[in-house]
Amino acid sequence: MPLPEFSYFRPKTIEGLVSLLAGHGADAKILAGGTDLFVLMRDRLVRPKCVIDIKGIEELRELSWDKGRGLMIGAAVTLNELIGSEIVEQRFGALWKAASVLADPTIRNRATLVGNICNASPAADTAPALLVLDGGVEVVGARGERTIPIRDFFVGVKRTTLERGEFVRGVRIPNPPEGAKSDYLKWGRTRGEDLAVVGVAALAADSGKKFVRVALSSVAPTPLLISEVEDIFRGEGSIEERIEKAASVVVQRISPISDVRASREYRLHMAGVLTRRVLRQLLGVS
Amino acid sequence: MKKYSYIGERVPRIDAIEKVTGAAQYAADLRLPGMLHVKLLKSPHAHARIVRIDTSEAEKLPGVRAILTGKEVPYKFGIYMQDKEVLAQEKVHHVGEPVVAVAADTEEIAERAVELIKVEYGELPPIFDVREAWKEGAPLVHERLHEYKHAPFIFPKPHTNIANHFKLRKGDVERGFKEADVILENEFYQPQVQNVQMETHTSIGQWLPNGQINIWTSAQSPFAVRHLLSAGLGVPIHKINVVVPYVGGGFGGKAGLHWEPLVVLLSKKVGGRPVKLVMTREEQFNTTAVRQGFYARIKTGVKRDGKIVAGEFLYVWDAGAYADYGVNIGRAAGYSCTGPYEIPNVKCDSLTIYTNHPYGTAYRGFGHAEFHFAVERQMDLVARAIGMDPVEFRLKNAALPGRITATGEKLREDAGRVDECINAVAEAIGWGKKGPKQVGGKLRGIGIAALWKAPAMPSFTSSSAILKLNEDGSVTLSISSTEIGQGTPTALAQMVAEELQMPIEKVKVVTKQETDFGPYSWQTVASRGLFMEGNATLNAARKLKEQVKGMAAQLLGVPEEELVVADEKVFVPGRPDKGLPLAKLATAGIFPDGRGIGGPVLGYGYYTAEGLTNLDPETGQGLPALMWTFGAQGAEVEVDPETGDVKVIKVVSAFDIGKAINPSLLEGQIYGGIVQGIGSALMEEFIFNGRGVLLNNNLTDYKICRAQDIPDELVFIPIENPQRNAPHGVRGIGEHPRISIEPAIANAIYDAIGVDLFEIPMTREKVWRALQKGRKNAAT
Repeated sequence: MPLPEFSYFRPKTIEGLVSLLAGHGADAKILAGGTDLFVLMRDRLVRPKCVIDIKGIEELRELSWDKGRGLMIGAAVTLNELIGSEIVEQRFGALWKAASVLADPTIRNRATLVGNICNASPAADTAPALLVLDGGVEVVGARGERTIPIRDFFVGVKRTTLERGEFVRGVRIPNPPEGAKSDYLKWGRTRGEDLAVVGVAALAADSGKKFVRVALSSVAPTPLLISEVEDIFRGEGSIEERIEKAASVVVQRISPISDVRASREYRLHMAGVLTRRVLRQLLGVS
Repeated sequence: MKKYSYIGERVPRIDAIEKVTGAAQYAADLRLPGMLHVKLLKSPHAHARIVRIDTSEAEKLPGVRAILTGKEVPYKFGIYMQDKEVLAQEKVHHVGEPVVAVAADTEEIAERAVELIKVEYGELPPIFDVREAWKEGAPLVHERLHEYKHAPFIFPKPHTNIANHFKLRKGDVERGFKEADVILENEFYQPQVQNVQMETHTSIGQWLPNGQINIWTSAQSPFAVRHLLSAGLGVPIHKINVVVPYVGGGFGGKAGLHWEPLVVLLSKKVGGRPVKLVMTREEQFNTTAVRQGFYARIKTGVKRDGKIVAGEFLYVWDAGAYADYGVNIGRAAGYSCTGPYEIPNVKCDSLTIYTNHPYGTAYRGFGHAEFHFAVERQMDLVARAIGMDPVEFRLKNAALPGRITATGEKLREDAGRVDECINAVAEAIGWGKKGPKQVGGKLRGIGIAALWKAPAMPSFTSSSAILKLNEDGSVTLSISSTEIGQGTPTALAQMVAEELQMPIEKVKVVTKQETDFGPYSWQTVASRGLFMEGNATLNAARKLKEQVKGMAAQLLGVPEEELVVADEKVFVPGRPDKGLPLAKLATAGIFPDGRGIGGPVLGYGYYTAEGLTNLDPETGQGLPALMWTFGAQGAEVEVDPETGDVKVIKVVSAFDIGKAINPSLLEGQIYGGIVQGIGSALMEEFIFNGRGVLLNNNLTDYKICRAQDIPDELVFIPIENPQRNAPHGVRGIGEHPRISIEPAIANAIYDAIGVDLFEIPMTREKVWRALQKGRKNAAT
C-alpha cells in the first residue's frame, strides 16, 4: 500500500526546522523514527503535505547526563540508543524498562522517546515512566523556548499541549532522589511484543519518609499520574497496608475502556495487580 | 552395503541458500514490461444489494487503464462448490468483499481511483451466528444455491444456508445410548482465524488477444488453478499457463483458486497487459479466505469399564460468504468425526453453513484441529465422569489395526499405531508422576490429546513426476508439488539419489512450477505430497533405470537383468569391462562405430490414490482415507491464577510417520505446527463488531505467536511403523503437528486450575474470567 504524496524536508539546524514549521504550519508533520507517522499515513489517518525529517539535526541526537542537571534525551535519540545507556539503566530504571518493552527490537532501532510522547497514545509505554521520573518536555517555537512538565503535556487521546509551530527538542529528567528505584510493568495480551493492555510505572525512594509515585498507561484518555499515591505513602500504616491502599486508589482513579484488546473489567483488575506487584518489588515486600 | 544412503539423513534443504540470501523469487518480486497494478474497492457492508456504481470520476484520472465491476464478470468459481464471485455481482456477502477493481499504471493511481468511485448499497439483514444461520427463516446468503454446480459428494440444501450436509450413520446410535452407563453432552466453539502466511496473496495475470492466458501466482497448486480457472471462465485449458515461483507459506489458504480470475479478466479488458494484485495484510484478513469458525455438540455414551458405545456429533462450520472449499472441510471432519477411536454406534451431521462473515477455506489440518479440540476435550471430560485415567481411557478405545472406523473401514495391519503415540507422549510429559503443582504462586498442569488425519481429497487424485538424465550424468526431477516451506522437494531429491545410487549433489529438483512444462499433480495440500509425489518419483526413477538398462544391454551385449545402475554408471557387477557411465547415455546410446540408438532418457512416473471410494450419501460408509497418520500431543502449562496468563512450558508430540526421510525437515514441520497451534489455542481470533466489521484486521491486534510465546521445551518422538504402499513407508505429517495442540493445552489448564474451557482462544482475559466465574460459583 503506497503512501500518499508529500514533500520531504531534512533541515540541518534548529533554526531551519523552526522556519519550515512556521512556513508550513498545519500541513507539516515532523518525522523522527516514523514508526507511528508512516503507519498513520499509510492508513490515511493523517495526510501531511509536507514531512520534516529531524534526523539531520545534530544537536537533537544528544543523549547526556550530568550530576546537576540530570538526563537529556534529544528528539532524534532512538529507543535502542536509550536502552544502550548504562546511566539510564542504573538511575532511570522505569524509563529503561519502558523503552525495553516498547514494540520490538527492529522498531526500537528507529522509534524515539520523543516520538512516543508526541504521538500521545494513551498506551505510550514511556509516558508513565516519565511521569514518575518527573520529566520536563523542552519545546522550541517561533516565539522562543519553554519547558512543559510532563504531567501537563498530555491533554487527550493523541493530543498534547504543544502549540502550532512548536516542536519538542528533547526531554530532560532530573536525577531521582538518592537511592530511588523505579520500574515499569507492562501487561499485554500475550507474552510476545504487544501494546500495553495496562502499564504501571512506579518510583520509590526513602528519604526520611517513603516517597512513592505511580503512573499508568492504557487506562484513561491520557497516561495518568496517580498523585494520591504519594499522600498514601507519606501517611500512616504498614507497607503492606499502604500498597493495598495505593492499588485501590489506582483502580478508583482510572477510567479504562473496553476495546478489541481488553475489557474495562480486566484492565481495572490488572491495574490493581500490576500496581501491587511493582510496589512490592520496589519496596522489597515479598 | 549401499554407497549412497540418503533416506533418514539430515540433508540440508535444497532451497536454503537461495532463501537465506534473498535470491529466491516470489510472485511479488516479479515485474513484467507494461505491467499494471490493481487496487480494490471493498464492501463496507456485510450484506447489501449493489444499487449503483459510479466510476465516472475514477475513469478521468490519468493512468487508470481499466475499471472492472461484478456485472461485467458474471462467473462463478470454486473447487467443490462453484459459488465464488471474483467481484460481487448483485450483492455483497461480507465486509471486505471486492466490488470494483481498478488497474492503473501505478499502485498510487489505482488507490486514488478507488477513492473516487461511488457505490450505493441497499442494506439487507445480515446473518452472523452460525447456530442461527442454518435454521429456517434465516436471511439467505445465496438465494440461488440450487443453481450452483458442485462436486457429486457435496450435498447442499437449496433455499437454506446449508452449503453441505455430510451425514454419517454407523450402527444404531439410539441403542448405543441405551447401553451406556453414563451419557455426557458438551458444546465447543472456535472463531474464524487467518492462515497468516508471511507472503500475502499475490497474482499476476495476462490474457493475450490470441486467447493465451498467462498467470504468475502465489498458489499452492498450479494445476488446480489452471483447471478451476478453465472451468469457471469456460476457456480451453491448454490456453492457460500457470507459473508458481516460491510461495511464502500456504497453510491451506493458497490451495484451490483465489484471485487469479480477477487479474486475467482485468488484463483482458486492457488488451493483454500483465496485471498484478498484491493483497495488503488487512485484505489478507478481510478479503481473502480465512479458516472457518466452528461450533460442535458432542454426546458420548460410555460403559463404566471405559468402553465408548455411542457418539453423536453435530459439527457446524461457519463458512462465511462462500463455501467453495469449506464444503469439503465439513465432509472431511465428518468422516473423521470420532477422532482416533473405535465407536460402534455413531451419528454425525457436519454442516457447512453460509454466513455474512469473510469466507472460509482450507487451513492446515482441514477442520481436524477444530473438531479435535472438541473431541479431545470431550475424551477428558468423559474419562473424568467415569473416574478413569484419561490416558487409559484413550488407549481402551483407540483405533488400532483391525478395528473399524466410523465409515466402516477396517484399519489395516500397517495403518500406524495411535496407542504407541499416546504411550510415548504420556511418558515424555510425565503422566502419572507427581511434579511440583505450585511454583511461586503459579499452578502447573499437564494435558494430553490424540489425533488422526488422512488426506482429504477426491478418491482418485493423482500425481506425476518426470526425471530427466542430463549429458553430464546428473538428473533433473520435475514435479508439480510446490515448495511452500515444507521441504518436499528436498526429500524427493533424497529419494532419487538413493534410488539411483548417485551423489545427491547431482540431483536437481525444479522448484519453480509451470503447467505448460511440469507433470500433473492435483494439489499441494492434505499432507499428501511426500506420499504421492514420492511414489510418482520412485516410479519415474525406476523407469529411467529401465531405459538406461535397455540401451546399455544393446551397447554392452549383455542381458538387461544383469545390469545395475549405481555410482553414475550402468554395469554388470564384477565385470569392469561391462559398464558405461550414465553420462554417455543421456541423449542417445552410441556404438563404437558411431551409430546411435535409443534417445534422450526420461523417466515418467505417476501415482493415483488407491483403494478410496465415494461415501454413501446417507450413511457416510466407505473408504475415504489413502493413509491415516496417527499422533498424540501433550502439553505442560503454568497458569497465573491472578492474571489468567497461560505459559506453555513444554509440548511433546509423537506421530507414527512410517519413516523419517529427513529428520531436520520433519522437526521443522513439527515445531512450526506446534507454534501455530499455540497461537490458535491462546491468542488468535477474528473479533467482529455487530455489523460484521472485523476489528482486528492487522497484526497489531490479531496476535500470533512471537518468540516469547514459544515453549521452552519442544520434544518430538518419531514412531516408525511403515505403511506398505508408501515410498519408504512414509505417511503425511504437514498438518498433524498443529492438530491437537489446543485440546492438549486446554486439558493441561484444567489439570492446573480445575477450570474447564470449551472455547478457544484461551486468552489471558478469558482464563481470568473463567477463574472468576469458578470463584463466584465456589462462593455461592
